[in-house]
Amino acid sequence: MDGEVITSVGIDIGTSTSQVVFSHLFLKNTSGCFSIPHIAFVDKKLIYASQAHLTPFKTQTTLDDEALRRLVLSEYENAGLKPGDIDAGAVIVTGEAARKENAEMLLNSLSDIAGEFVVSTAGPDLEAIISGKGSGAQQISKARGICVINFDIGGGTTNIAAFDDGEITAKGSLDIGGRQIRVEDGRISYISKSAVKIAAAAGFYPELGEPADPDMLRGICRAMAEVLEQAAGVSPADDLLEEVRTAGSTFFAAPGNAKAVCFSGGVADCIHSTGGDPFRYGDIGPFLGEEIAGSRICSELTPLRGKETIRATVVGAGSYSTTVSGSTISHHGSVLPLKNLPVLKLDHFEQERCYGGDSEYLEEKIKWFLGQNDTTRMVLSMTGERSPSYARLKTLAQCVGEAMGEALPAEAPFLLALENDTAKALGQAIEMIAGPTRAVVCIDSVRTEQGDYIDLGRPIMDGMVIPVVIKTLAFG
Amino acid sequence: MDNSVIEQVVEAVLAELSRSEGVTVPEAPEIHEPEERDITSEAERAAVLVKNPVDAEAIARMKKYTNARVGVGRAGTRYNTQTLITLRADHAAARDAVFMDIDRELLDGIGLFAVESRCTTKDEFLTRPDLGRQLSDESVSVILEKCVKKPDIQIFAADGLSSTAIKANLPDLLPSLLDGLKNRSGISVGTPFFVKNGRVGLMDQVSELLEARVTCVLIGERPGLATAESMSAYIAYEARVGMEESRRTVISNIHRLGVPAVEAGAYLAGLLCSILKAKASGVGFRRDTGNEG
Repeated sequence: MDGEVITSVGIDIGTSTSQVVFSHLFLKNTSGCFSIPHIAFVDKKLIYASQAHLTPFKTQTTLDDEALRRLVLSEYENAGLKPGDIDAGAVIVTGEAARKENAEMLLNSLSDIAGEFVVSTAGPDLEAIISGKGSGAQQISKARGICVINFDIGGGTTNIAAFDDGEITAKGSLDIGGRQIRVEDGRISYISKSAVKIAAAAGFYPELGEPADPDMLRGICRAMAEVLEQAAGVSPADDLLEEVRTAGSTFFAAPGNAKAVCFSGGVADCIHSTGGDPFRYGDIGPFLGEEIAGSRICSELTPLRGKETIRATVVGAGSYSTTVSGSTISHHGSVLPLKNLPVLKLDHFEQERCYGGDSEYLEEKIKWFLGQNDTTRMVLSMTGERSPSYARLKTLAQCVGEAMGEALPAEAPFLLALENDTAKALGQAIEMIAGPTRAVVCIDSVRTEQGDYIDLGRPIMDGMVIPVVIKTLAFG
Repeated sequence: MDNSVIEQVVEAVLAELSRSEGVTVPEAPEIHEPEERDITSEAERAAVLVKNPVDAEAIARMKKYTNARVGVGRAGTRYNTQTLITLRADHAAARDAVFMDIDRELLDGIGLFAVESRCTTKDEFLTRPDLGRQLSDESVSVILEKCVKKPDIQIFAADGLSSTAIKANLPDLLPSLLDGLKNRSGISVGTPFFVKNGRVGLMDQVSELLEARVTCVLIGERPGLATAESMSAYIAYEARVGMEESRRTVISNIHRLGVPAVEAGAYLAGLLCSILKAKASGVGFRRDTGNEG
C-alpha cells in the first residue's frame, strides 16, 4: 500500500457559535526505496465545512448537550458521513462553554458519535495553538524559517500564538474581540468588563443604551489595537495588558525575533477588507479590524493573510490536532486505541538514572505519579538518547520493565513515548523482560511536556504508525 | 659561511657557558599548546562561517537540513581555510574507512569468526570486484564446518568499502537484530560470521553454501565526505549466484546521524521475517506485504 487516507473531524464549540468540519488527511511513506520507512502526512484537504451555528445553551452557563448532539449528527448527515467513518479529530470547547461541567458533559455526549478516536480539549492556550495551525501561520513560519505571531481575533477573545520555524514559542489570550461591545438599532446594547477597562484607560465612558457614537467606538477600538500592539511587542507594555488577560490563559511573552503577523478569527476579515457599514454585524468588529490594519502591528511586522480566518480554529482542530508516531515503533498486544492517558515525563536527570538502571527510583516515581493522578494507566515519556549502545538500551529496558512491572497492575499495558528514534529497539527489549502476556506499546518521534495527556489511536499503514494526539485537559 | 664553521662556534660557546659557574641559563619560556579543537565535530560543522550574514539564524537552520558544506563563506572563489581542512579530514576518514582492517577483538567481542574472500590485499579488493564476491577455498570449508545448515535466516557481516561502518554499527546492531529474531518463535537463525574483503554479491554464494532461505549481509557503504560510518543491509530470499540484482532488498543509511544501529537491528528483525513469510525479496517484495511492523 502506498498511502492511506484518514477522515478527521473538527468540532469547535464556542461561546457564541459552533462549527463542524471534516477533512481528509493523506498519509504516505515519504522515504526512498532503500531506506527505513518514514510515514508522514503529505496533504490535508477540507471536505466539508458547516455553517457557524449558534451554540445551544440550556441556561446562561449550561450547554444543551442534547441539542448539540443533534446538531453534530445533522452535520454528519450533511457531509454524507457516519460516526464510524471517522478516524481522528478533536472537539474544541472554548470560552463560556469550556466550564468544567460542560466540558465533561460534552466528553460523554459526543464521544460515541464523534468517532472512536476523537478527543475533547479545551482552554484558551490550546485554542491559540490550534487556530495558529489552522490559519496557516505555523506552516508559513516553518516554510520561511521565521517567527510568525498569529492573532485569532474572535468575538470575545484574541488568542495569540507565536511560531518560530514551525515550533510554538509563546501562547496566550486577551479579552479583546469584535463583540466586546454590541450595537442594536444604533444604540449600545452590550459592553464587556474588559471593554469598559480599555475604554476608561483611553478616556471613554460608554453607557448602555446611548447612541453608538462612531468616533468614540473607533477610539475604543484604537485603544484595543494598542493593547494588541503591546502583546505583539511592538509597543512597551503597561498594566492594561495584564488586566485584560483571559482567565486561565498564559501571559503571552512576545518573542523578540517576530518578523511577520498573521490574523484569523472573524475580525481578521475586517482587517483585510475595510469600509462598508461599520455596524453591519451589530458590533465593533469592523472598527477593530480597521484600527488593527492601521496599527503598529501591521507597520512594524509584515502582515500575512492566513489560509483560514473565521474557520481557523475548527480547521486546526480537524486537520492539525492529530500527528503520527515515528515509523519504526513497537506494539505488542491489542490494547489500542487508548484515550486520555496522563504523561509522566522524565527530565534529563531522571532519564540518565534510568539508562543507568536505577529501577527502584523509577518504580517509586511511577507509583507516586499513579497516586497523584488516581489512575492505573499512564505513558512514560522521555527524550531518549540519539543513538545509544545496545548494552545501554538493554539496561534501560530492564529498568523500565522491572519498575513498570512492580508499579502497574498485572493487566495494565506498558506504554512509552520517546522523542528520539529508538522505540522499536527499546520496545523489543522491554518485551523480552515483560514476557509474552504483557502488552507493550513503545513509540517515538513524540514530544511531550509534563502535565500533558496523550491519545493513542489504532495502528494504521499496516501497523507501521500510530496516530497520536497530545493535549492539555485544562477545563476552565 | 661553511656549516662546519658554525657548528664549531656553537660548540665553543656552549662549552664556555657550561664552564662559567653562577651563570644560569634562562629557562625556556613555557609554550602554551593551543587549545585542541576538533573541526570535524558536530558543533564546528554546524557553525555559520559566512562573514557579516544578514540572517545568521536562517543559515544555521538551513544547515540542519543537509550535510553539504553550505553557509561556510568563501575566500574569493575558494573555500575558507577551515572548510578546506575539514574537507581534507573527511576525505582522510573516507580513505581510512576503505583501507583499515577490522580488529579481531571487536569480532571476538560479538562472537563472530572471520573468513575471507578471494582477495588477499585491499588493492586487490578494490581492483577485482569479482574476487570480492567469492569466498576463498579455505573460507568455504571453515563456514561449512562451523555453521548451522539450512537456516531460515542467515546473517553475516562484511567490511565492504568501510571497516569504520562495521566498527561503528555492528556491535550494537547485531545483538538488537538477533534478540528481535529470538522474540519471534519458530524461526531458525544461522551462525553469524564476518568476511574480510567481502562484497555484496558474496551473499549469493553463502546462501547456496548453507542452503539458507533468507540471507542478509551487513556491509560497510562506500564512504562519502558526509560520513564514513554508514552501513547497509542487503537481503535476498533464496539468493543464488548469478541472480538478478533486482532481487535484493536494501536498507541503507544506518549510522549515528541516520538510522541508529539499535533501531535498525530491531527493524531488520521484522523485515527479515516478512521476507521469509512473503518468499520474495527485492522488487518482488513489497515492504508492506505482510509486514509485521
